[in-house]
Amino acid sequence: MAPTFQELQAQAEQRWQALTAGDRPWIRVGTALCGQAAGADAVVQALQESLERHNAAAQISQVGCLGLCFAEPLVDVQLPGQPRVFYANVTPEQAEEIIASHIVQGIPLAGSALGCLGSDDGGGDSSDNGETGDLPDLNRHPMRAREQRIALRNAGNIDPLDIYQYAANGGYRALHQALTGMTGAEVLEQVNISGLRGRGGAAFATGTKWRFLAGSQAPVKYILCNCEEGDPGAFNDKGILESDPHTVVEGILLAGYATGANYGYIFIRSGHDGPIDRTRAAVAQAYDLGLLGRNILGSDFSFDLEVALTGDSYVSGEETALMEAIEGSRAMPRYRPPFPAQVGVFGQPTNINNVKTLAYVPEIVARGGAWFAGIGHERSTGTAILCLSGALNYTGMVELPMGINLQDVLYEIAGGVPGGKELKFIQTGGPLGGVLGADATDLVLDFEVFRNAGAILGSGGIIAADEDTCAVDLTRVLIAFCQYESCGKCFPCRMGMSHLLEVLERISRLEGGPEDLALMRNIGENMQAGSLCGHGQLGFNPVSSALRFFAGEFEAHITERRCPTGSCQTPWFSPRLSRR
Amino acid sequence: MPDDITIAIDGVEIKTQPGKMVLDAAVDAGIYIPYLCYHPGMKPFAACRMCVVSVEGGRGYPAACTLPVQDGMRIRSEAQDVNELRRSVMQMLIAEHPNGCLTCHRIDICGPSDVCLRHVSVNDRCVTCPKNERCEFKDTVRYLGMELESPLNYTYKQIPLEVADPFYDRDYNLCIACGRCVRACEEIRGDNAICFTERSGKALVGTSFGSSLLESGCEFCGACIDVCPVGALVERSHKWEKPRTVERTVCPHCPVGCQLNLELNGGGELIRVVPEYNSPANRGQACFKGKFGLEFVNSRERLQQPLIRRDGVLVETSWDEALDYVAGRLADYRGDSFALLASPNGTNEEHYLAQKFSRVAMDSNNVDLTSNLQPELTTALEQTLGHGAATNPLWQLEQAGCILVFNSNLTEDNNVAGVPIKRAVQNGAELVVIDPREVELTRYAHCWLRPAPGTELLLLGGILREVLDQGLENSQWVEAHCEDPATLRYYLRILDLDEIAGITGVSRDGMAEAARRFGGADNAALCYALDNIPPDLARDCVSALVDLALLTGNVGKPGAGIYPMRQGANEQGAWDVGCWANRLPGRGARRNESARRELEELLNCPLPTNPGLGVAATLEAAGTGRVKAMLLVGDSPNLGNGRLGDGLAALQNLDFLVVMDTFLSAPARLAEVVLPRATFAEKDGTYTNLERRVQRIRPVFRPRRGEAQPEQWVFGQLARRLDAPGFEHPSAAAVMDEIAQVVPAYAGLSYARLEAESALVLRSGGLESPKPTQMLYTGREHRGLQWPVAGESGAGTPVLYLDGFPSGKADLIAPQFRAPQDILEAEYPAWFVPGRVLLQRDREMQVEIEADSNLNRIVRDELVELNPADAAAWSVAEGDAVEVQTRQGRLAGLARLDAAIPPGTVAATILFGQLVVDLQNSPEPDPMSRTPGLDILPARVVKRDA
Repeated sequence: MAPTFQELQAQAEQRWQALTAGDRPWIRVGTALCGQAAGADAVVQALQESLERHNAAAQISQVGCLGLCFAEPLVDVQLPGQPRVFYANVTPEQAEEIIASHIVQGIPLAGSALGCLGSDDGGGDSSDNGETGDLPDLNRHPMRAREQRIALRNAGNIDPLDIYQYAANGGYRALHQALTGMTGAEVLEQVNISGLRGRGGAAFATGTKWRFLAGSQAPVKYILCNCEEGDPGAFNDKGILESDPHTVVEGILLAGYATGANYGYIFIRSGHDGPIDRTRAAVAQAYDLGLLGRNILGSDFSFDLEVALTGDSYVSGEETALMEAIEGSRAMPRYRPPFPAQVGVFGQPTNINNVKTLAYVPEIVARGGAWFAGIGHERSTGTAILCLSGALNYTGMVELPMGINLQDVLYEIAGGVPGGKELKFIQTGGPLGGVLGADATDLVLDFEVFRNAGAILGSGGIIAADEDTCAVDLTRVLIAFCQYESCGKCFPCRMGMSHLLEVLERISRLEGGPEDLALMRNIGENMQAGSLCGHGQLGFNPVSSALRFFAGEFEAHITERRCPTGSCQTPWFSPRLSRR
Repeated sequence: MPDDITIAIDGVEIKTQPGKMVLDAAVDAGIYIPYLCYHPGMKPFAACRMCVVSVEGGRGYPAACTLPVQDGMRIRSEAQDVNELRRSVMQMLIAEHPNGCLTCHRIDICGPSDVCLRHVSVNDRCVTCPKNERCEFKDTVRYLGMELESPLNYTYKQIPLEVADPFYDRDYNLCIACGRCVRACEEIRGDNAICFTERSGKALVGTSFGSSLLESGCEFCGACIDVCPVGALVERSHKWEKPRTVERTVCPHCPVGCQLNLELNGGGELIRVVPEYNSPANRGQACFKGKFGLEFVNSRERLQQPLIRRDGVLVETSWDEALDYVAGRLADYRGDSFALLASPNGTNEEHYLAQKFSRVAMDSNNVDLTSNLQPELTTALEQTLGHGAATNPLWQLEQAGCILVFNSNLTEDNNVAGVPIKRAVQNGAELVVIDPREVELTRYAHCWLRPAPGTELLLLGGILREVLDQGLENSQWVEAHCEDPATLRYYLRILDLDEIAGITGVSRDGMAEAARRFGGADNAALCYALDNIPPDLARDCVSALVDLALLTGNVGKPGAGIYPMRQGANEQGAWDVGCWANRLPGRGARRNESARRELEELLNCPLPTNPGLGVAATLEAAGTGRVKAMLLVGDSPNLGNGRLGDGLAALQNLDFLVVMDTFLSAPARLAEVVLPRATFAEKDGTYTNLERRVQRIRPVFRPRRGEAQPEQWVFGQLARRLDAPGFEHPSAAAVMDEIAQVVPAYAGLSYARLEAESALVLRSGGLESPKPTQMLYTGREHRGLQWPVAGESGAGTPVLYLDGFPSGKADLIAPQFRAPQDILEAEYPAWFVPGRVLLQRDREMQVEIEADSNLNRIVRDELVELNPADAAAWSVAEGDAVEVQTRQGRLAGLARLDAAIPPGTVAATILFGQLVVDLQNSPEPDPMSRTPGLDILPARVVKRDA
């Protein structure tokens, strides 16, 4: 028998109290993809061994990503009732010290700590409290100072494998509220008011999209959540699912309730093991507690959700290709119309949203659409979840209100370019988004502003490159990616990408001819006009934007046979995947 | 049509209907928009982007194949910018497709056999491509007026050719990855034997994991070849030859009646077969027999002159001498000592003349088809409903909600009839198969009942009883349309379902499920053959099947009905015109005295009254000496394969045997006179297919050498010499006119009437407009006519009994539901149940290249499946090397014990690929006509020494 929502909440509260103010310290280690890559698994093991050696008791939880990826492995120690203390770049040896000092003796390692956070998670000033008094407040760290966390509100704070921790932090409150006090149409209306727009790249109004589906009278309708996320430099979808899968599950449930759909899939690229495992666990827990399945929380609303995996293909993130993949076919895009809202997966009306989009929904429903609409910039409401990577001091995942300008993002929040080098360009919105020159930093985070500047804010990936990076070479790498990931269905993309890559390889071998730029334009523009799906239509962006900002560099490669940065002189390896 | 809307393409206004795509509308209206991946009859794919257009007031360049028409839409196709976009894609295609000739400045003045001195490798030339001059790609390049120079680098893909599989060659260096073949295989044929492989620049088509077609589930229907726009997929035989002329006719291999376009070379040889797209019977489809099995018409082994036996040796002679001799001898055998066995691929006219010759000239009712092994196939059907033929058109099977296939190896015997069935299943229809054998359709079946051989009739009783018990009977309709349903109900009510389950080996759940699926569907269709039904149960089996269709109210409505799956190409015609034991033309049974009188009056001559003999009885009578002289038309595998006992020995016993055949076959070698017979491709006439569609066949060519003649001429000549009246027809058309007089169902039919049932098909553009090969040959759509034809100008009848039954009510027959007792002998104590399927996913196998032929063959151990109880009794253990022995042959394999195999049966399912390899390597001149069936035979299992 599934618990009522009140029972669930009560139990969650009780468990949360035990964790934060119970009888033993709580150690949280970030083991999202960023943490694991930095060696978090070894740190967790060292912490456990050390605890045993000191015969000390502490609860160790593996949490998701706090966003401070540069600081991983990040260990967060909270003594009962005290603020959380964060240690950055922890090695197994340091883990031992942390246990010895902080846990066993109760004395934080002030010297190596990154900062602290008040015991009421995520917000507020840290109260002056004994030993932690000298530590800087983590919320004043540049990466966090201007953040406004909505979708990421729980990321790094809770154990993603524990549904009670999610519930203790307001989880499933919105669902309960909707099921008990709102009609589906009212939920939809709140999303509509919020002005939420799709975070997958196209920035289409979510409320409008949902209304298409809600308008269909078909008995079987689907909500799909897309976590294909194959863009290099994008990790926020994975980050959310790894850090807080339940917020997505709740978002999907609300979407289903709003549109009258009763079936859903979370579609994750196979190989993203962390998100897959944690999402599967979350779905299983939700079923156990009656939050999925028949008559959710005792209401008339039923919903079934399943995790589906793609093959190893970028294009399967394209919505119609994704449906083909779910149906078990080769992931190749379909033509439109009919649009998914009419004929989607298994021939039924379907709505497809990005992970981030759905992750906002619980807070929008809980706090009202107007609250969300009040955040942001003009028609781009809410926050942008950025993935900062490349030549930046602070890399990681930040959630910033729309409207902040790129100058601030790059130099203030991300701490500028390391080594005192010059920023050369940034690459936004995945490989198809193209590049922006260093002078584009006065852009503000806003879908329209970016679009007008010829770039895509898209999924929020920002890769920065410094002066040592060759624009031609980077373009070649981006096109090599696009070429390799073309599904091979429509002719302009299948062959156009290969030819673009061939020309770029020629140029970066310093063997290009004067006609090559025109040739690339010709191929690219026709690819743009003729392709079936976004992959081909946007596939020329990396080249066209690079040509816009760095025409001189291409010229140098072609006419002077020299690479200004010197990187194209060395023998290089390129995956010549295009041809035999 | 009232809902017509108007769109304009390049300023030309055309009418079309909502729901269509712009490209379809353009094709309908004869306006050419270039395309490569589109193919009519398949869903649009939108990959090649060759059909991009722009819409006035719209954005971008949508593909016309996926752009729905809207009223008032103005499309630009022949515009500079649109063509520029198409050229840019084509330029890239040319860069990966051999293009020496495509981009040659001399192309317009280069003759087909000019020697080229350009520095272009042979691989890269069009003139050395098998598809040259039939290549849509090349035509499209020309249409677009491509530049000769391209800034792109040309890359030859260097993919090894696939030339070891039967019948096809695959050269993926020529492939443009349009996906037509994959879609044809998946969407039209339902086979999924081929798929897309790789991705990005390497994306191609092929079998998964690059396996041989033999193990991929390929049915060698050639549908992929027919749709390939380039030279990637081609027929191996006559690969390099170009057609000089193309003629349309109907396939002689089975009664589906596929219209085929025969390509002939300059020497008048048949080089290739392309199924006709605008044909109502086959809709552009063919099968391994039709596509690759017609080359016998070219054979050098064909008989050229009449042969006559002198001093025990057959020597060539003239027609006159042969006919004089035959007539002279036959004159002595008038009456019951004469028999005529006709070939199932004779035309209606020939069948009519054959029976007339036997009855009028030879005063004998002994006339039948050599293929007529189940004369009761449609007797009960005719008795109950009124006509001994399928009630509905074949392709209405696609609309059925449930299809029941009974004891028919349909995908091999009537292959193209399987296409609508598979498509229906793909689209959600349910399929019930009743067959002890594992045949291709069992792989698609939702419910496969596997009764013990011989118990099928009893099983049908069980299913009928379930229909009653579950309340699935359409009582209202039955009361209104059927005579005496109470008797049938009574006989069903006394059946004991548990006992039936025990005897048939089919569980009660199985029977209930079959009844639920068939009776529960809104409209259900029933296809049946009697492949392995004991002859004495055949009639009742058909009655039971008809009862099933009637009780559930599935007769006389579209998308339902009952289809007897006949064997020979024109068996239906033979039945209709009385070339059938004990049937008079159009008059049903011979015993009907008034019918005979009527006919005698019509023909103005007396008819014999003695009972006639069917093929089995004829051969028996030949063995005993009751029949002394025989005219045998065509060869039949049945004479030698044991289905008719030892037919050849019986023939040897005759006093006088005349064989009319295309080849010097085994029976011909026994004959005293052998007359060379023209093939289907050399005669004029009509075939009636299994959906009652009367279609013209036409002389495609004269016999290339020799003096082979059609039967019509021979019967006329013989009759004249025997002074028999009524054989003076100047043409096949005249014979048809007589048939129309004599056979009520054919009343109103004439060649002129058939011609009027054809229509010109719009051909877009001029000669230069590229079309898929299949469309290229479509000048005229020949619809034929489905009898009965209502009056001189009336239409045919696609669906029978829409307005009730000829005799008012259908005569429900209550058969005696029974199973034969112990027909197995001690020597062969079990039933051997052979099966054949396209794909055995779970079976490991190896495909090897055979050294002398360089062709693939399958190397594996067959599995002999036994019930564990039987295995114990015969002391066979799992994995033992065993041999199944029957009177006809033996099969070696490894034993596998499976409780699902009914006790007393031994099953072995081989792969269709094996059959195809055997057919390909067969030394027979016409191997496809001898495709071995799947006969259930008494057998025993013995262990082999390891």
